[in-house]
Amino acid sequence: MAHTRLMRELQRQGVSRREFLTFCASMATVLGLPEGSAAAIAKAVENEKRPILVWLEFQDCAGNTESFLRASHPTVADLVLDTISLNYHETLMAAAGAQAEGVLDETVKQNKGNYIALVEGSIPGDADSGYCCIGGRSALDIAREVCGNAAATIAVGTCATFGGIPAARPNPTRALSVADAVPGVRNLINMSACPANAENITALIVYYLTLKQWPPLDRYRRPLFAYGKSIHDGCERRAHFDAGQYVESWGDEAHRHGHCLYKMGCKGPATSQNCPNVGWNEHTNWPIGCGHPCIGCAEPNFWDVMTPFYQKLPDVAGVNTDRWLDTVGVGLTGAVAAGVVVHGIGEVMRRGRGRLVVEEKPAAGKGTGEQAGAKK
Amino acid sequence: MSAVPAHAGEHAMLERVYIWELPVRLAHWLLFFSIVTLAVTGFYIGHPFISAPGPASAHFIMGRMRSVHLYASIVFTLAALVRVYWAFAGNRYARWSQLLPVSLERWRSFRQAFLFYTFLSRQSVDYLGHNALAGLTYAGIFAVYFVMMATGFALYTVYAPPGSPMQWFGWLIPLFHGLPIARLIHHIGMWVILVFAVAHVYFPVLYALVERNGVFDSIFSGYKFKEPGSRE
Repeated sequence: MAHTRLMRELQRQGVSRREFLTFCASMATVLGLPEGSAAAIAKAVENEKRPILVWLEFQDCAGNTESFLRASHPTVADLVLDTISLNYHETLMAAAGAQAEGVLDETVKQNKGNYIALVEGSIPGDADSGYCCIGGRSALDIAREVCGNAAATIAVGTCATFGGIPAARPNPTRALSVADAVPGVRNLINMSACPANAENITALIVYYLTLKQWPPLDRYRRPLFAYGKSIHDGCERRAHFDAGQYVESWGDEAHRHGHCLYKMGCKGPATSQNCPNVGWNEHTNWPIGCGHPCIGCAEPNFWDVMTPFYQKLPDVAGVNTDRWLDTVGVGLTGAVAAGVVVHGIGEVMRRGRGRLVVEEKPAAGKGTGEQAGAKK
Repeated sequence: MSAVPAHAGEHAMLERVYIWELPVRLAHWLLFFSIVTLAVTGFYIGHPFISAPGPASAHFIMGRMRSVHLYASIVFTLAALVRVYWAFAGNRYARWSQLLPVSLERWRSFRQAFLFYTFLSRQSVDYLGHNALAGLTYAGIFAVYFVMMATGFALYTVYAPPGSPMQWFGWLIPLFHGLPIARLIHHIGMWVILVFAVAHVYFPVLYALVERNGVFDSIFSGYKFKEPGSRE
């Protein structure tokens, strides 16, 4: 059992079998799989033939790569992912230039329909706009060839999933998501969030290794195990929301007591992800856990619609609706109330000046279409 | 009301006419009570003005506001749907052709009603049902109701448990470019309805007082008084 290549590698890194099984159990938990599935996961991760992956980067900040690698000490997940046959990854690979492009080309040609493409970053909508070219080819070209021939494509991060920050207004590069840039792409899985949670990417790959299929998806093609529930519904501060206890300003009494950040503009109620359960940086913490409202990074157009991040409602034409909407509402209702009082006085006065003309019964007006068609 | 002595003398000749059938009145009052409830709870949800002291476990203010809001929204939705159904199944005063100025005659009366209400004309428009201006206003406010339902249902999908049929309304979210904008529209919609409500209480009360045609009572009893000159 302990003599597989993976286990030898783990032992060399000082990771015990116990830690490996803990990892498998935590994966089963993230995926919401039943008790006992940890063993199946362990078996699959140890023995299955590794799928071939190519990792494309377009208009991105390599944040998902950072998240994926976690930029911290090696973990079991890193090693599991290392043993995956990652044939092409610009940030990680030693090769460069023609040599690197050659590897990609070769992988696509030799494993047509059998590899998995991971895409990070958005794709400029015009192939000849000059934005984001790699080895003289446009991102659109590369994405269509590589994703078009893949067995499955995983869009990693909000840029690849929804266009993200490059696609935010005014979207100078006409940035597109993978789904929009490669119409009809096969088995697309979207892993949104800025960056996508490494735990979820790992869990997705483990799910595939174990069950040989992709997990159930939501309407944005995101796996339900990670995006099936709103942040608000899983939030550790939810009790304060329901009770009616809110942070009113940074550092106030309520903030120090860990009350709900709803009034500080938290977008948890509009965002679906499992951050409250999975956390970030090896379960160290997550934004709301350390007192910052959720900015809704896993949702479509988040840079346009979730901003301003510290207000409950979006601005309209530069006007802070959070601050002014109710004032305008009360003012308008008051103005109309005042208006009807004035109107009422006018009406009484005009009637005081004599009987009003009641409209004459029109001779032919009675038999018009509306009445002819009416049911008695 | 000494200002209208001639008017009062005609009362003997008024004919009592059944205008608003039970579904219309029922829908009206269900809408009234649900809107009041929705506005109060909705205002709290949008702007929680009560802060609960002490441990969270001792309070459930927002939780209760939200539950009441959700149940009231069911009443509101069903009442509005009943009224829309009755616009096709009801009597001539409830029908859709009373709400939209589809005939030339109603377009003229629309103009006349506008001139009358703005004191530009002394010629009143006396309809047994809705006058054209009132009808179009009601059509407009029902459009707002449906916007409120659409935004409300879209917002609810995030909380609908997995497998709930309410999840189906998720397709509405991209229509509003995301939930924060749906929330903004939902919030603006409340104020539109409240502004409408002020005018909607005023006009029937005023005209019931000065015209004495029973327009205000009619939404309770269903009956209005038909004057010799009024149109149907």
